[in-house]
Amino acid sequence: MILAFALAVAVLFGSGAYLLLQRDLLRVVGGIALISQAAAVTLIAASLTRGQAPIAPDPSRPVSDPVPQALVLTALVIGLATLALLLALVHRVVVVFRTTRREALTAEETERAHALEPEQQRDRDEAT
Amino acid sequence: MTSLSVALLVPWVAGAVLVPLDGRRRWVAWLAVAALAGTLAALVVLTVRVVASGPQQLVTGGWPAGIGIVLRADALGVTFALVSVVVLIAATANEAILGPRARTFPALLVLLAAGLTGLFLTGDVFNFYVFFEIAMTASYALTAYGGEARQLRAALVFAGVNLLGSFIFLMSVAGLYHVTGALAMADVADRMSAVGANAGLLIAVGFFVAFSVKLGLFPFHYWLPTVYAGSRPAVAAVLSGAVANIGGYGLLRFGAGVFSDQLRLASTALVVLGATSIIYGGVLAASRGDTAEMLAYSAIGQVGYVLVALGVGGAVGLAAAVLYSVVNALNKALLFLAAGLRGRLLAGAFVLGALSVAGVPPALGYIGKLELFRTAVVAGSAALVVLLLAGSALSLVYMFQTYQRNFWRDDGSGKTSSPVANRLVVAALALLVLAVGLWPEPLLALSQHAVEALSGRQG
Repeated sequence: MILAFALAVAVLFGSGAYLLLQRDLLRVVGGIALISQAAAVTLIAASLTRGQAPIAPDPSRPVSDPVPQALVLTALVIGLATLALLLALVHRVVVVFRTTRREALTAEETERAHALEPEQQRDRDEAT
Repeated sequence: MTSLSVALLVPWVAGAVLVPLDGRRRWVAWLAVAALAGTLAALVVLTVRVVASGPQQLVTGGWPAGIGIVLRADALGVTFALVSVVVLIAATANEAILGPRARTFPALLVLLAAGLTGLFLTGDVFNFYVFFEIAMTASYALTAYGGEARQLRAALVFAGVNLLGSFIFLMSVAGLYHVTGALAMADVADRMSAVGANAGLLIAVGFFVAFSVKLGLFPFHYWLPTVYAGSRPAVAAVLSGAVANIGGYGLLRFGAGVFSDQLRLASTALVVLGATSIIYGGVLAASRGDTAEMLAYSAIGQVGYVLVALGVGGAVGLAAAVLYSVVNALNKALLFLAAGLRGRLLAGAFVLGALSVAGVPPALGYIGKLELFRTAVVAGSAALVVLLLAGSALSLVYMFQTYQRNFWRDDGSGKTSSPVANRLVVAALALLVLAVGLWPEPLLALSQHAVEALSGRQG
């Protein structure tokens, strides 16, 4: 059982890391989503116990630990929220840069590199 | 007890009220400043109680301890909470005077304060993760503030790298629960001694990586220059002065409070990493032409000092680490805000910040450097003393290079200066740095209390 969990986490994390290194921003977001799932599976695997449901338990039989389930639920909700935020950010990038490719973003960035200093100057000027 | 819940509830309620309001109106931004000031007042009351009568503890929902989530305010937590809220107030006031340009900006800052005070005042490992994510989510959104291309890029880089750090943290929490079967920090610390050496070290490394990513320590710093140089000055001040505190606090709380055996084992590695961070940050900061980038690399160098002090450890080293985290947060907030404005008073404020970074009296940084030198002397290491001197010399070089470029050169454009109120906010922050530098006893006592709180939990 532990081996199965370990393999699942390894595959999830590995695929996530692979996607994270891709050039397409949507794949990067997908990679982060997979890694968040790897963390959730780790949480379950690290603390899963067998037993009856912990609501009004029969004291003679073993009770399963309810804490990891609560933890995983919380972690999933947080993961979903951060994923939504990331997708919103990527959407903004698509609107502004008109691309989801990282190298196009970098090319744009190089073009902007010499424009950076005046732009920052403008920020300071706005503050005047 | 009441001040503990008030300090946590004020930013929550205020954040919820501010979210639907249009943050581009100035009165909304001032409301956010008022809410943060209220939080600060509650924290000050809490600090006085903590210093007078020891750590304050509260179990949520009236549950017995061990079932409910423990909120715990000790000297270490309140010190970091106070500094972070002061920085947030300065940054919010700065933008409130200029007029925020995004609807959500004031609400996000207040919610960031809610997350930060929560994580500094919790006594539960998983609750720490929840507050940590609240603070981080608010700061991802804040980094995009301004809406320009480079701010979006900064937000994307920041969110991507730090989410990875967060999940590594979550996995380490899972490991910690697996080996100790507890989530309350006090229980975890008690049971850590019975845990096998390999498992303990593995989990400790996970926590170290997660917090180093937040802090921008040397091998995990790669995201930091893009983000600090790309975001707006007020946001950069918040990121380096408030959000980065998570990393420093986490290293102290988990490193010294929970993983004290592992910390002792890895002390040489930590000192070497810290030293690399100091030299790398210093050299690259000296080579940068842009002020914001220089400050970003300087931030990488400055957190190296915290790591060196933590690595040396002992009562003196930990006190120096606490003190230097506080000093660094205030310095960076002051410098980022001062570099984003122009006009009278600012050169003086920048010089104070620069002197503080270099550790020249009478600025606050001198006290921090003094404690670091004491740490190096206690450790009996001549190499450390030389390193600290070299680091200080480097920071003096890059700070005054930038000062010369920004304030001595007349660019001839005849630009008008920033609003007086803005400059007064920065001047107030500079005066705070000066005042604490001239009268450091309260801060020194607080960091001493913080170390006692840490070692009390160890035992």
